[in-house]
Amino acid sequence: MTDTNDDKLLRDAANLSRSIPPERDLWPGIEAAIEQPKRGGDSPSWLYQAAAVVLLVVGSSGVTYITLKSEEPTSVVAPEDLFYERAAFGSSYSLGPGFTDARGGLAAKLEAQLDRLPPEDRAEIEQNLRLIRDAIDEINAELAKDPGNAQLQALLLKTYREELTLMRRIGDLTQSVISRNDI
Amino acid sequence: MTALSATVNNDTLAFMVTAVQEVGGEASLIDRAKRRDSKAFELLYRQNVDRVYALCLRMTSNVSEAEDCTQEAFIQAWNQLDKFRGDSAFGTWMHRIAVNAVLGRMRKSKREAYRLEVVAENTDPQPLEQNDGELRDLSEAIDRLPEGARHVFVLHAVYGYSHVEAGELLGIAAGTSKAQMHRARRLLAQQLAEDGYRE
Repeated sequence: MTDTNDDKLLRDAANLSRSIPPERDLWPGIEAAIEQPKRGGDSPSWLYQAAAVVLLVVGSSGVTYITLKSEEPTSVVAPEDLFYERAAFGSSYSLGPGFTDARGGLAAKLEAQLDRLPPEDRAEIEQNLRLIRDAIDEINAELAKDPGNAQLQALLLKTYREELTLMRRIGDLTQSVISRNDI
Repeated sequence: MTALSATVNNDTLAFMVTAVQEVGGEASLIDRAKRRDSKAFELLYRQNVDRVYALCLRMTSNVSEAEDCTQEAFIQAWNQLDKFRGDSAFGTWMHRIAVNAVLGRMRKSKREAYRLEVVAENTDPQPLEQNDGELRDLSEAIDRLPEGARHVFVLHAVYGYSHVEAGELLGIAAGTSKAQMHRARRLLAQQLAEDGYRE
């Protein structure tokens, strides 16, 4: 190739297109990449996990706070499934005969189960039950003075439920007793 | 590329240029993009993609690789926007990033570079020059050049970079760039002579 032809080569090279549209739109791929949150080095996974734990703790604390706050006398709103239970209280509160029977039956079965447990377990369970029953006695005593106190009523129901839950757990009793609506 | 897609792209480009003028020009778009405004960055992309893609296509000689490199270049640009000081035009800055994207892709491993060469040899390249048979012949001959010679020829002869600038972009000495240019011209002359390239 001569010098002339060599010059022509460079001239033609300089005239080649410097702007060529791609055959497809490349933006969607770019957009997906740049809008993706950064992962890896900037924020290690343990940080995300720690944040999740903190969020969980704060969330559950918030729910507990709201629940406790809702138990204040001025803002008590009983859930619907407690309406029947609350009806058993009111100004002349008393436990329904069905509930008293169920509770007595559970307690008897529990005594039988407790005999089979190791002494350490039995002592711990009896202590827990004693605490719950002492609380029930105290709440009942307060309700006797103030029968219309909705907060005390709700607290009493909650404590009875805790007692039942504990007894059910120990005795592995069926849910038929709990599902009864004669509380 | 079909005539229809060319029309669509030109229409799109015209629309985007109008949009850019309406929102206050490139500097404004860059400022907004620096504040992580992806819509502004999309407008910058629309303005520059054809030039970036052309460079990537000429350096890789492969449509698929050129598309990947173009995308990689814009992603890198997005991530490095805070480093853009405006000392050069945005398009010039994008050129540098595009060259780095191509080279980075090829340097990933020798296997990758080898694969790119094989693909370049075995792929029927996209005709880049639509109207001029000789330019099309030249373009196809460039595609067949060895990688090093092709990169230098594209940057120096097609895009007008000096050997110092091309050397900086490619990470080689200016003398090496000159040597690769000489090699490219010799290989091209041989190929084009066989194709009946006119004096």
